[in-house]
Parts: sequence; C-alpha cells; structure tokens
Amino acid sequence: MTHPWWQRGAPGRWMLALVFFGLASIGLIIPLIVGVLWSLVNPNVGWFPPAIVPANLSLANWRAMLSVPEIGQAFVMSFLIAPLVTVLCSALALPTGYALGRRRLRMRRTIELLVLAPIILPGIVLATGLGSMFIRLGLSHTIPGVVLVQTVVLLPFMIRIVAATFEGVPQDLIDAGRNLGAGPWALTRHVLIPLVKPGLFAGGLFTFIGSLEEFVLTFIVGMPHVQTLPVLLWAYLGGRSSIFTYAAVVTMVLLVPTILLMFIAERTLRQEYLAAGFGKV
Amino acid sequence: MEQITATLPRITRPRTRRREWLTDLVLLTPGVGYLLVFMCVPLAQVALRGFGLLAIGEPSHFTLALYREILASKIYRDSILFSLYFALGTTVVSLALALVTSALLQVNFPGRSVISVLYKIPLVVPSLVAAFLVLTIIDQGGIIARAVARFGVEWPELVHDRWGVGIILVLVWHNVPIMIVILSAVMSAIPQDVSAAARNLGASPWQVFRNVTLPLSLPGISAASLLVFIGVFGAFSIPSLVGAAYPKAISVVMSTEVLDRANWALASALGTIVTVLSAVLLYAYYRLIRHQEAALR
Repeated sequence: MTHPWWQRGAPGRWMLALVFFGLASIGLIIPLIVGVLWSLVNPNVGWFPPAIVPANLSLANWRAMLSVPEIGQAFVMSFLIAPLVTVLCSALALPTGYALGRRRLRMRRTIELLVLAPIILPGIVLATGLGSMFIRLGLSHTIPGVVLVQTVVLLPFMIRIVAATFEGVPQDLIDAGRNLGAGPWALTRHVLIPLVKPGLFAGGLFTFIGSLEEFVLTFIVGMPHVQTLPVLLWAYLGGRSSIFTYAAVVTMVLLVPTILLMFIAERTLRQEYLAAGFGKV
Repeated sequence: MEQITATLPRITRPRTRRREWLTDLVLLTPGVGYLLVFMCVPLAQVALRGFGLLAIGEPSHFTLALYREILASKIYRDSILFSLYFALGTTVVSLALALVTSALLQVNFPGRSVISVLYKIPLVVPSLVAAFLVLTIIDQGGIIARAVARFGVEWPELVHDRWGVGIILVLVWHNVPIMIVILSAVMSAIPQDVSAAARNLGASPWQVFRNVTLPLSLPGISAASLLVFIGVFGAFSIPSLVGAAYPKAISVVMSTEVLDRANWALASALGTIVTVLSAVLLYAYYRLIRHQEAALR
C-alpha cells in the first residue's frame, strides 16, 4: 500500500504544514500586514508603485481619527448604536429564546422558519421594504431607525444562541436542585443563571460586533445623516475617489475588536454557541 | 407522564393547557412579534408594491407593468444573469478549495491547531473590509502587481472587470471559511474505519476521496453550497465596490433605484424576483434533503 506524500511519516506532515502556512500567509497574513501598512503611510510621501513597502511611515492617518470630523463622528455613531442594538436584541431574545429552547411549542417549525428568514433573505430586499416603511414612520435617517433595522437582522442570531444555551442546560441539575429544596427563585439564581451566563455573553458580543459591521440596512435607511464606520468605509473605497489610507484606518478600527473577540470566543466559549450563530441553515 | 421539556422552576402543580399556551404566547411575543412587524410587514409591502399596489405618490392599482418592464429591459435581465453568474462562480470555486482544504485538514500535521483558528478569521471580517484587504493585493496598484512589475510582467485588471473576476475573488475569500467549517465537521464525522478499510482493499487515496469521502460528505456539500449561493446572490457591498460599470449586480441596481431615483416600486419588483429565486432554491434543497434521508432509510 503506497501512501501519498502527505501521509508518509513526519517529512510529509511537515510539507503539508508548509503548504498550509504558505496559503495562510498569502491569503490572510500578507493582506492584513498590507492593510496595517496602508494605515501607516505618510500622506506627504505616499505609497506609489512600484514600491513594495512604503518609503516613510507615520501616524498621521491615525491622528486624522481625531482631527477629521467625519471619522470621529462615525466612530462615536457606531459605538453609540452597537450597545443600543445589543440591549434591544437581548431584551427581545431572552423570553423568546427561552421558549424555543425549553418549552414544548406548537408551530415550532413555523417559528424557527420565521427566525431563520432574516438570516437567509438578502439584506438589500429587507432594506427596500424597511426603507420605504421607515420613511412613512418618520424613522429614516434617524438613530432610532437604524437601531430598529439592525435589530431585524441581528435578533435571529441572538434568539438562536439564547435558545441553544437554554436547551443545553441539563434537566438533571434543575431536578437535583429542586429535590434539594430550592424554590423557583433559588433555582434561577443559583442554577439557571450561572449555567446560561456564558451563552448570553457570547450572544451579546456577537450582536455588538454584528452591529458594528452591519452595512446594507444602515446604508439604505440611515443615509446620509447616520454615518457609521462601515458606511464611511464604503465612501472611502468606492463612493468618491478611493482614499486607501483613511480606509485602512477605519478597517483596523473595525477589524481589531472582531479578531480579538474571535480569539476569546475560540478559547473560552463553547463551540455550540458559535455553531448556533454561524451554522445558518 | 413526566414532561422532559418542562419549564424550569416549578413547585406548583402543572397548570392547565390554556395557561401553558398563554405562557408560550407571552414569551414568544417579543421576538416573534418584532419580526412580524419589522420583517413580515415590510416584505409584504415589497411584494404588493411590485404589483403596483401601495404605490408611493401615485395612484395604486394592480398591474404587471413593472415585471414586464424588467423582462423587457436588457439592463435588468443582464443584472439578474450577472448575479446568478458570480454566485455560481463563487460557489464552485469556494467548494473546490474548501473540499481540498477540509480533506487535508483531517490529517494531523504540525501547527494544525493554529491553522484551524487562522482560517476562520475571514468569517468575522466585515465584507467591506474583506473587499479592502483583497483589493490591496489584487488591484493594479496592489502588492502582486508591484511584485510582478519588477520582472516586466503587466498585471491584468481584475477589479472592475467585465467578467467579475475581482468580485468572485473577494467573495471566495469571504465564503471559503464557512464552507470549510461545514465540510470539515461532516468529514471528521466519517468513521476512520471506513476509509481505512477502503485503503486496505487497495484503493488509492484519490479513490478513497472520490468514492468514500465525497459521497459521505454530500449532505454537508449541498448545505454549504446552497448557503453560499443564496448569500452571494443577494450580496451588495462587495459587488458594488469591486464590480464593473456594466453589468451591475442585481442588488446594486436595486440600491440605485432606491437611492438615486426613489423608484421604490421597481426596486420592490426586483426584490421580489430575488426573494422568489432564493426561496425556490431553498425549497429544492429541502426536497433534496428529504429524498436523501428517505434513500438512507
């Protein structure tokens, strides 16, 4: 029986590792480094072809965060909307997610389908419907309007994560607590809440990050008054002549928290919560 | 009979059915009610507006004129076909890459744990950021163009090109990880014994992949492909940034109708077409799954 090269003992495995790390650096690490470099380009010198590395680095673009009003405003706007969306999603998802996770429901399939729909539907279709509806309600171009539309697309993830969390609470522990004489309040306080806390935390973080990243609905409903970081990034990259240096700064502001979160999530949170959020169908 | 899914803290006697039902209703109302108001109502409005009803600022009456206009216009037809084209292209390329990667990820090589975290990074990267990162590499002013220029090679224009190569590259970068997540979960669930038995019976690694791994991963393959196809078909930000002036993606055409012309009716008709096409695909998928399950039984 002949083995292919990647299964021929240690050297083959090292070769395979080499291939993977090669691909990861081309596909991921180099783009990230180039993105960081663009954010550090000195605007007075620039970074023109054929230079592979910028000739002069500076923090001028980062200082622009503070001095260019639109970047600072978009930053404040994003980090004002994200907590509001997270709070609204949590408040709406907690009871519904609990019911989906732990109760015997009639029409369960229909409800699950309804919760799945905003995840599958193209954002632009929802934006078209919500855009005209919000013009009528006077919510277009307002912060409450943007909070409400972002909640439509982020609520399903939260509900699914909360439902998976409550579903994962072992009934034995609750029965044991009850047998030991705990009342409803003590059960909730000492058994249920500690068991569901990590899942709820994960759901909240995902909603927060999702709100920071949401673009299509914010763009259609919020334009031109509510400008979040992704909307600004769109303007820097395509709307006007592309301003790569500012785009790179906005990119890093959006990217660093998400990647950090992913590493935290990967380490401390159980895989099910991620699966409930990401495993879409 | 003891209810396994009983509500958690309860010391009183089981309530009547009616009260159970009332509790369900109270618990479900916030989440489900919100989606009914802010998703189902606007979607219904989109559907009706596509037929000339609920028109804004003009008399509304039932008509098929909007759909006739869309079918008669080459611009709209081309944009629908273009979206289908790059969705299919992205799905095929991503699937090929994800299949090879997931199969190789089953082998235990040094640094595998690092790779299995790294490849998930694009999952959390916003699509606009993905577009920017890939642009800095593949654009004519990008790193590859700069590198090959030293050897006198002129890098082709991949961004804003007529064939949507730039769009497909960015979308593939963004969608391969979710495919790998699904496919490697399916592949790691295949018992080692099966492929080992095939190898002992003289099958080559390729034959094992072709005749054992691939058929056993089929449910994952179809789920992942459908997921990526539908997601990409309606994608807006990446095609709008990296796409050519003509043809435009259907989502980009919709946003232009809304933002530049305030033509909500036409955008609604286009949106209905997008939704119906996606729904038909989903339905076909569920039928397929049921057939597969029935065949296994």
